[in-house]
Amino acid sequence: MVYTKRTIWPLVIGIVMVGYAYLVQSGQLEPLLKYLNTGRYTGEMLALGYICGGISILAGLWHLAATPKEGLTDYYISTIAGVAFIMLVAFVVKWGLDPLMGLWGRAARPALGFNFASVLNLNYVVMGILAGIIVVNVFKVPGWAENGVRLSRLGLKTGVILLGALYSFAELAQLGKLSVLLIGVFVLGSVWLVLLIGVRRNLPNSMTGVLSAGVGVCGVSAAVAAAPVVQAKSLEIAYTIGTILLFGVLCMFLFPIVGKSLGMGYIQFGAWAGTGILNSAQVAGAALAFQPGGIETLKVAEIFNITRVLFLPIIVLWLAIWYVRREQAAQRDVQQVNAMQVVISKFPIFVLGFILMFLLSSTGIFAPARHYQGSYFDNSEKALLKKDRSGKQIDNHLKPEEVATLHKELDKIKRNDQKAALARLAENRKITSEEDDVLVRGVINSKALSKEGTAVLTKAHRVVRHTAPKISKFRDLIAWFFTFGLVGLGMQITMSSIRQAGGQPLVIGSIVGVIKAVGSLIIVMLLVSETI
Amino acid sequence: MEDKFDRGSALTIFPSDRHEDLAALILAFAIAALVYFLV
Repeated sequence: MVYTKRTIWPLVIGIVMVGYAYLVQSGQLEPLLKYLNTGRYTGEMLALGYICGGISILAGLWHLAATPKEGLTDYYISTIAGVAFIMLVAFVVKWGLDPLMGLWGRAARPALGFNFASVLNLNYVVMGILAGIIVVNVFKVPGWAENGVRLSRLGLKTGVILLGALYSFAELAQLGKLSVLLIGVFVLGSVWLVLLIGVRRNLPNSMTGVLSAGVGVCGVSAAVAAAPVVQAKSLEIAYTIGTILLFGVLCMFLFPIVGKSLGMGYIQFGAWAGTGILNSAQVAGAALAFQPGGIETLKVAEIFNITRVLFLPIIVLWLAIWYVRREQAAQRDVQQVNAMQVVISKFPIFVLGFILMFLLSSTGIFAPARHYQGSYFDNSEKALLKKDRSGKQIDNHLKPEEVATLHKELDKIKRNDQKAALARLAENRKITSEEDDVLVRGVINSKALSKEGTAVLTKAHRVVRHTAPKISKFRDLIAWFFTFGLVGLGMQITMSSIRQAGGQPLVIGSIVGVIKAVGSLIIVMLLVSETI
Repeated sequence: MEDKFDRGSALTIFPSDRHEDLAALILAFAIAALVYFLV
């Protein structure tokens, strides 16, 4: 089979991307960027526009000029067009639709009484997945892009491995303990519940086994991994995938809305999404949809997801033994299970990659240890006096009028340590120590000062907090890998695969899925605090 | 998309999950190396 299709579209996409980057670079799109307030994306617009566009142009020329023969070259090069297609959709959504929806949401607020973009959580993640779903179900993924769309899961897995570079030992230890506890209870509990209900309802053992893996562990991958050991038939796998997709897609859109309406923090939401959502990819989708401007929620959710994926070999082993016993009890012929072989063959290597990346970054190779938590403290003159893009120097010390605002509001502070920190800030026109920074943050969070006073403190806090360049790059790259993976994932959610859900598997899957989602929400709200 | 591909599956171009995991591992470490040397 030859995968390279003769088409002009990859070339067109490449030219559009490079053209857009050029227009941004030359300043011709400045009014548009100002209107959409997307100036902060200029760097990635240029880098991604030129890189993705350039590669897409080369791939486009290959599609037009080459006479490919069946083989690996044809198979792998033909994926580039699909990657470019996904990236184009992602660019339009992130740099166009997302800010536009924000503007419309705010503009419609007086008429509607609420910001529809915020209430419906219409950010680039949600819209990217929706765009993918619309493309595949309404317009159909173009033939030349189909092979590349199958790389979206690779994008998500690469994102998870790279995410390993952003955790500290303390963070991982704290989150790890919590996730093992929660995931242990809910994964084992839901597998057990599906097996129990499946047996009670006289479902075939193979159907019950594959459904329990899908609903209990990490969705589609778990169902596919468990299928051979319980000898599941294609139709039973299809039923399970349909159920997981239907439930997972609903959760992906509903979880962030519920989380925001309950006022959940990043850690609480990440813990809930990582435990309660059935499918791995949709965990990432919900976490990024909840916090599209950062990756703190994603970091928490992925720890829970990884813990869940680590349970996979154990669950597959459990199901293999359970299946053999059930079949033997029914006096049917069945092969014995080699436990070690099952565990080794089902161990997810990408989780190992995540751990390796974490260990590598822990050596301090990418940044000093204290830079890993996202931002570090630096109040040196060099850090406070910066140059903007035009080379003009910007002084980030507090201005005299800002110092005057602080003096006016000093009496509102009751705690002596906070009062002293603010006095030092006013005197030096900058935060003088990391301890003072903590105290200033406390005053900001307490909202004890007026809006103006809080704005002064927020500015003073921001200018002494910096992100290491390599860590910052990792964050940007991770966000893009997940965006790519999720838009591509949307293009794989076909109505025909969701329609496969039905009958007893849908009923059992839904019962257990709802119990898991609601149960984990209650436990998280009761046990998980924002600081852990 | 099942029947359209004679390699991999509807969800991935790789023959198995393990191959996909290894590809993700190589890609991630290649990117980490680029970040290390270029940023």
